Amino acid sequence: MTKRDINICVNGKWYELAVEPYETLLDILRNRLGLTGTKSGCAKGECGACTVNIDGKAILSCLTLAVQVDGKEILTIEGLPKGAELHPLQESFVKHSAVQCGYCTPGMIMNAKALLNHNSNPSEKEVRKTLSSNLCRCTGYERPVKAILDAARIMRGKDER
Amino acid sequence: MKEGFFRPREYHRPNNLQEATWLLSSFGKRAKLIAGGTDLLVNKPPEVECLIDVASLDLNYIRKDGNGITIGAATTLDLIERSPMFSAGPYVVLSEAASNMATPTVRNMATIGGNICNASPAADLSLALMVLDSTVKIYGLDGSRVLPIGAFFEDVNKTALAEDELLVEIHIPMSPAGTGASFLKLRHHQTAIDLAVVNVATRLTCSDDFCEDARIALGAVAKRPIYAEKAKRLLTGKRLDGKLIQEAAEIASKEAKPIDDVRSSARYRRRMIAVLVKRALELSITRCET
Ligand SMILES: Cc1cc2nc3c(=O)[nH]c(=O)nc-3n(C[C@H](O)[C@H](O)[C@H](O)COP(=O)(O)OP(=O)(O)OC[C@H]3O[C@@H](n4cnc5c(N)ncnc54)[C@H](O)[C@@H]3O)c2cc1C
Ligand code: FES
Ligand code: FES
Repeated sequence: MTKRDINICVNGKWYELAVEPYETLLDILRNRLGLTGTKSGCAKGECGACTVNIDGKAILSCLTLAVQVDGKEILTIEGLPKGAELHPLQESFVKHSAVQCGYCTPGMIMNAKALLNHNSNPSEKEVRKTLSSNLCRCTGYERPVKAILDAARIMRGKDER
Repeated sequence: MKEGFFRPREYHRPNNLQEATWLLSSFGKRAKLIAGGTDLLVNKPPEVECLIDVASLDLNYIRKDGNGITIGAATTLDLIERSPMFSAGPYVVLSEAASNMATPTVRNMATIGGNICNASPAADLSLALMVLDSTVKIYGLDGSRVLPIGAFFEDVNKTALAEDELLVEIHIPMSPAGTGASFLKLRHHQTAIDLAVVNVATRLTCSDDFCEDARIALGAVAKRPIYAEKAKRLLTGKRLDGKLIQEAAEIASKEAKPIDDVRSSARYRRRMIAVLVKRALELSITRCET
């Protein structure tokens, strides 16, 4: 096996890692960096639990090889809070009880984050379309949709992140 | 490593097409190109020893000139879906197919080149590209060659690409005035992640009510996507009415050679082809007028 050295920026911090060509970004985040907020639901692109942001875009970390993201900036759910203060999306998911078991939640929130990056005022339809990437088996979608729309409203008011 | 596991030992990022073909020819069957990885990393073929990434080849573009529209092989589906070039005229058929594929997050990663090179008989973009008379540009050790897209698909997961070759771009010629096209897909559960039970694309060029030219492409009903040639011949040169459309749809469904599989029975597929072709033709007609 030939390991390759990669440099990746995760949640603002640069890491130099030697990785196998077949290791996924999901493997690296969870097993090497201990960032277990990103979940593995299906490992074949169907559930969205492994969603992270790469250069601001929502990406599935289970279908991305670590070698492919050399030099890239990755944001995971652990990178959202500022110190002890939760991100407005996280606050809003709590406030609206949009979390039951929580397995799908990090993926949903990272997907919503990417949506809000380029669309600060999405319609309900746009939010629903975005969430069609994320499978939730317990909460359903009503509350997450409300939570995201509410967070977007709050973020437009604050306009700081 | 043991057989049965996806354990490539090498990963390369060629700087140009020539380097890519050198790598492909020196590793032969043991090499695999990787683009978005949304087919490859699901299938995880155990025989792959060397991955060659197309990301560094600058093949992510959509360009328009007097001859038509050219799309780089590594262009992602989200760009195609949103591009103004596929928001009007018969070209909407491509964004229609793209936006009906997978989930929005998968579409951020999946490429047009990956969809057609994977050569699934149920692939959605193949049909849209077929009715638009697209050609594909291929690069290999002997330089480049161009093929009509219909000749690119050979069998299930098999294209006309030789071992040293890769897909560079897809060219869509300008369609004549009065042309409309549409794409329709039937899924088992109608959820975002379902592949097509059957899918259909059609394109018509009309003047008044006369059909001057037609294309009908069918997916998931043969070892590769096919053109319904008999149905096309029936329509061409005739006055379009409900009866003729119905007849064409029935002929198309007879041209299909579906099989029974996990997603559907052959019988159901054949019947649904007739329904989808009829609806797609009707939709294409309404789009001719604009
Ligand atoms: C959840 C999910 C849902 C899906 N739904 C659909 C769907 O509804 N409809 C559908 O059609 N597909 C669907 N797919 C399949 C897949 O997303 C598409 O086929 C996608 O377009 C593949 O592109 P990619 O860039 O990810 O390909 P990759 O996986 O990177 O590559 C696919 C194949 O093409 C080859 N290849 C890639 N680029 C080139 C090139 N430039 N030259 C030569 N060979 C090349 C690779 O070697 C590989 O064999 C789905 C996948 C998932 C995970
Ligand atoms: S774990 Fe990646 S999509 Fe399910
Ligand atoms: S909260 Fe349990 S899967 Fe969504």
